[in-house]
Amino acid sequence: MTAVSSTLPTPRLTAVVAHNWKLAIAVAVVVSAISMAGLPAAVSFWVVGAAAALVAAAFTVNAYRRHYFGALLVAPAIAVLFVMNIFPLLWSLGLSFFAYQANQQTIRFVGLGNYVRILTNDLAAHATWGALINTAMFVVFTVSAQMIVGFLLAILFSKQFPLRKYLLILVLTPMMLSVVASGVFFTYYYDPTFGILSYVINSISGNQFILMSNKVGAVAGIVFADAWMWSPFVMLLVLAGLVSVPKYLYEAAAIDRISSWRQFWMITFPYIRGLLMLALLFRTIEAFKLADLVILLTKGGNDTLTISYHLIRIANEQNKTSEGAAISYLMLFMVIVLTNLYLYLANRRTQGA
Amino acid sequence: MTAMTKVKGLATAASFAATLLVGGVTYASAKEVTLTMAVPDWPPTRIMKKFFDEQYKPKSGNTVKLDVDFIPWPDFYTRVNASLTSGEKKYNFIVSDSQWLGAFVEGGYFRKINDLIDADPELKATMESMHPAVLNAYSTYPNSTPNYYGFPQFPDVLVTYGRKDVLCNDDEQAAFKAKYNEKLPCTGEEIDAMDWNTFEHVGEFFQRKKGDKLAGQVLDDDFYGIAYQAGKGYDFSTSSVHTFVWEHGGGIWDETKAPTGHAEGVVNSPKSIEGMEHFLKLLKYMPPVVKTGTMDIFVSDQLFREGKVAMNIDWIGLGEASLDPKTSKVADKLVFGLAPGLRGPDGKVNRTSQIGGQPFVLTTWTTPEQIKEAVGFVKWWLSPDIQHQFAAAGGQSAIKSVYSDPKYVTYRPWDRAWANSLDWQKDMWHVPQFFELLTQQQDQYDLAITGKQDAKTTLDNIAKFQEDLLKNDGLIQ
Repeated sequence: MTAVSSTLPTPRLTAVVAHNWKLAIAVAVVVSAISMAGLPAAVSFWVVGAAAALVAAAFTVNAYRRHYFGALLVAPAIAVLFVMNIFPLLWSLGLSFFAYQANQQTIRFVGLGNYVRILTNDLAAHATWGALINTAMFVVFTVSAQMIVGFLLAILFSKQFPLRKYLLILVLTPMMLSVVASGVFFTYYYDPTFGILSYVINSISGNQFILMSNKVGAVAGIVFADAWMWSPFVMLLVLAGLVSVPKYLYEAAAIDRISSWRQFWMITFPYIRGLLMLALLFRTIEAFKLADLVILLTKGGNDTLTISYHLIRIANEQNKTSEGAAISYLMLFMVIVLTNLYLYLANRRTQGA
Repeated sequence: MTAMTKVKGLATAASFAATLLVGGVTYASAKEVTLTMAVPDWPPTRIMKKFFDEQYKPKSGNTVKLDVDFIPWPDFYTRVNASLTSGEKKYNFIVSDSQWLGAFVEGGYFRKINDLIDADPELKATMESMHPAVLNAYSTYPNSTPNYYGFPQFPDVLVTYGRKDVLCNDDEQAAFKAKYNEKLPCTGEEIDAMDWNTFEHVGEFFQRKKGDKLAGQVLDDDFYGIAYQAGKGYDFSTSSVHTFVWEHGGGIWDETKAPTGHAEGVVNSPKSIEGMEHFLKLLKYMPPVVKTGTMDIFVSDQLFREGKVAMNIDWIGLGEASLDPKTSKVADKLVFGLAPGLRGPDGKVNRTSQIGGQPFVLTTWTTPEQIKEAVGFVKWWLSPDIQHQFAAAGGQSAIKSVYSDPKYVTYRPWDRAWANSLDWQKDMWHVPQFFELLTQQQDQYDLAITGKQDAKTTLDNIAKFQEDLLKNDGLIQ
């Protein structure tokens, strides 16, 4: 590749040839700066867009003439990634340093002001920290419930028994339902007048039972609904691991008369550990973003406001765009730290084993 | 997420520009004008679209198309807000809750219509024939100033829904009389005269357990006397609490007195606290779901339709479902009256209530040609003939000549309460900060409704928050 590319000499900066990408960048920067300073925003937007297209074209021609076909093939994917992912990410990072509201036409640089506000301001920080603590609580409860239930279900379904196939489909159904449908279903399920839960408990105890009237009940209700929906996901992953354990290992263990407890730890667990870790990772990240069920079941009442729902209220309902961006980055930071912690632990275990 | 919206906005702006170029050419040749409208998906807007398609013939001779986006209520604000703030400029008309006016006027999205009213004597006459409470709530920003933005689409008020079979039962009547030494309201007129004390008695009186008797029949489920919105979502407890606070002589932060008016000392004045305490006192007679903080207008409506409560105070807009035997177990047992008021020491009933309903609003990017057709459409919509048809199909009208017509009360059983309710309707804030004010207030009310703090703490917290927020934004000096 390098041998081929060296046949095309690097043009001088000022040479007007199609593959002179350095000149294209220089022109684009100058033209963009002038248009942004002198033209109305609606026009300069298109000028900047055209300048970006010019640079992209120069890069393409350059790559083509130098036979960088690998790069050319990957370029569309990278372009899409940049436009749809990286650019918005960087844009919102930039926004988080400004005072900007989507429904107002003014913007003002405030540096770290938004971050300081959401972490230390009397009123705003109180809401942020409350929501973060609630989120942590939900992460711990929902993920552990899903891991335990999912794991036990997987053990159950790894055995052969009558109607297994049909039961498996039934157990997987909640995962495929829309969250809104499940949320509405659970609203009725927990409802003190129409719901079956209160009906059963009322007829046993004789007193009016209202699950969602205090924090413990509301959290339990949300955790149960979430576990109901997502335990099958954990089960599916773990089941894949269980099925992949070679039968001869168990046969050998049986010959050596190893207890089933030891069989589990020595044979089964090493096979499913990676998948368990993966399930844990997925579910933790998802649980961190929990908002839909909370909105449907409690509207954040009984102190169940999560950070995601808080963010929706700030950024979408109240249009405090830049404050919302700051909260998003706080969340992103936490998820990244958490994820890396997991990966670190997972890797250390693997090396230790 | 937010930057995503921005990019999407730019992308849609690009496609919009393209449509404009292409569309512009079509207008010129075929004289076809399309008005695009964002509306919530429910009967009042469906009826409007139906009437338009069947009956509307523009006077200009152009072909006018009404392109309506029906958006489900729970998503409505989010979708409208996203469309406006992203700069997509899709809609010419938007049905807007009156509280949104400030936020979207300041954002430069809603078009002031004073010039249109002044230029068109017919439109001016129509606007002047509207009930002033409705006009102020739906049209003005700043609130109650002669700066107009909206035309009423579906005006709405709170009324009392009652169950005749229970309320008019002889045994219940006699037992109620014996217990409280007053008549149990049974007819529409008696419900009109009802105050909050009687309403509370109805609540207490009709609390029945499974197995108890109700109107001579043994109950197979618990039964409750009263229901009234007290939910944490949107404005569901605010609408109730504001009513009580106003009737007790308290207040909310008054934007018409900005910047010298305050939140501290008004929002948490002794009279406001008294009002809120009065509201909280009623909760114990409501169905148990109220203790979860999720009893909103839809939940209380459903409880009523399922026959679980004797009386419910709710918007007229939800009434059609209770009339329909397919969706209502009480369809043939209905009686309607005014929402209760507070009886003063002089025996007179003092009434003030949070107004409901929505105006529709023109957006600033609507072209002159579209505006011409839009004004024609609005005049047609607010013309007495169409307004009568709308009311007959389950809508409401705020045009004086229409609602004072003797025919009007024959359309629907609640229409008898409509015209009498208009005089005492008030609206909450129209300022751009309304959603912040509302969210914080709803959170605090929820704590009080679910029994976690008392009325005084609640209103103190709200006052402190509002004073702080509005001071920062220059609305309080």
